[in-house]
Amino acid sequence: MPLEVIIGAWVATGLTLFIFTFLYEDNPIFKLAEHLYVGISVGYTIVKAYDTVIVHLIYVPMIKEGDWSLLVPVGLGLLMLARYMPKAAWLSRYAFAFIVGVGSGLAIPRTISSFILKQVEDTIRPLVTLLPDGGVTFTASLLNPASNLNAIILLVGVVSVLFYFFFSLEHTGPLKTAARTGILFLMIAFGAAFGYTVMARMSLLIGRFTDLIEFTGPAYGRPTLWLIPLVVGALILWSSRRRQAPPEA
Amino acid sequence: MTFAERMLHIDRRLIFLMIGAFTLVPLLFPVGLAINISPEVRSVYDYIEKLPERSVLLLSLDFDPASKPELHPQAVAILRHAFRKNLRVVAMTLWVSGTGMADQVIDEIAREAGKEKGKDYVFLGWSPGGSSVIINMGQDLYKAFPSDYGGKPTKTLPVLDGVQSLRDVAYAISLGAGNPGVEAWYVFGKDKYKFELGGGCTGVIAPGLYPLLRSGQINGLIGGLRGAAEYEVLIGQKARAVAGMDAQSATHFAIIVLVLLCNVFYFSLRRAARREAGR
Repeated sequence: MPLEVIIGAWVATGLTLFIFTFLYEDNPIFKLAEHLYVGISVGYTIVKAYDTVIVHLIYVPMIKEGDWSLLVPVGLGLLMLARYMPKAAWLSRYAFAFIVGVGSGLAIPRTISSFILKQVEDTIRPLVTLLPDGGVTFTASLLNPASNLNAIILLVGVVSVLFYFFFSLEHTGPLKTAARTGILFLMIAFGAAFGYTVMARMSLLIGRFTDLIEFTGPAYGRPTLWLIPLVVGALILWSSRRRQAPPEA
Repeated sequence: MTFAERMLHIDRRLIFLMIGAFTLVPLLFPVGLAINISPEVRSVYDYIEKLPERSVLLLSLDFDPASKPELHPQAVAILRHAFRKNLRVVAMTLWVSGTGMADQVIDEIAREAGKEKGKDYVFLGWSPGGSSVIINMGQDLYKAFPSDYGGKPTKTLPVLDGVQSLRDVAYAISLGAGNPGVEAWYVFGKDKYKFELGGGCTGVIAPGLYPLLRSGQINGLIGGLRGAAEYEVLIGQKARAVAGMDAQSATHFAIIVLVLLCNVFYFSLRRAARREAGR
């Protein structure tokens, strides 16, 4: 087994156990792992961004391939840094204006098309169909409501939830019934989301445990078996010292 | 203090220990509970299965190490399937923090399948711009990624023969842990450049993607570790995800029991308090 893999296994095991110590109580070992995680994540991102953007997308095409048209976006990007010079800070507005303008222009029409129009269409499409001449026909079979049951439930859910968030009229009478139905649908949606969240969190735990079990192997030098007693011992020592220490004034 | 009160004030560390035990024991002693295949996972599998040899599969690994336990097994299963079908795999990521991990998994599975870098697969790496990268790729893939992750000019790579933009991709799959991810690939990719799109995601964001599945905006969805396990069963190569399913079922069972017990204790306390107030 390559040495870097073995070192990686020891580091991964140690940091996983350090993080798990938080389940007992907040402690310095956990904080060490937490700060390492934040620092390394940021460091990794900066290095990767530098290598990709500065080296591969700017330096190589401009200096080695002579594509000087890149000076325009580079100049615009550099204007962002003017924020750090109070007298020239106004220059950064051009860069921000460009980003906000392009970003909004790209995102707004596509988002409306994908998440509003398409979803509205899908909500009513199984019940109503557009004819080639532009007319509309109902395709739901009233004789066999079960054939469109899902579509009907979906339509009732969407409309009732929209009523729940309609605050211009007081929720009384039929509006109250619709809003209450909306709450039921919202509760079901929250329940489903919570269930999936639990599943996701448990999957993360399973992932870490799977690695810890794998790292009990002799090929890695059994880091799990060595580090568990060490981490538990350190936690016990820290906990007993903290109890003995006089309370802060 | 009544029994219900004591149970509602139980030390949370005991619950952590219990969940830990329910996770660890099935991992050490698996029983092999049945895994049923859901239609949304089968759709992704079937679509890849029907692709002709040497078709281009775009795999966007839009996640970082924080979501590795859920999405890494999905990536492994899809790559194994694609290489077995002799597809050309074009991989990339929209998450800068996941670049190294994505490169590692692709190289590992390609080596296992005996595939050649540059001819059978390529990892394009990461490009700045988030969702705009997708639009850029839709116009000209070579402008978005002038070189691959290893620095080779993409125009010279045989794996990209006949590929100019996203319109030339037979199937795209985004394994997303958030934004940019599956939604961005639909909004800025499929909707505009008209290619078929499938998705894989963490459990947390799966409920938000089901509306896209129902409306046909994505043709299939692999949700969390469970979805990865289903895909492993479909390709007949059971690995980490399947191994984790017994533990997943056990912890879910434990959590359901805990939720029920908490509710029983809570309502019994509330009933007792009302009785007290009525006296």
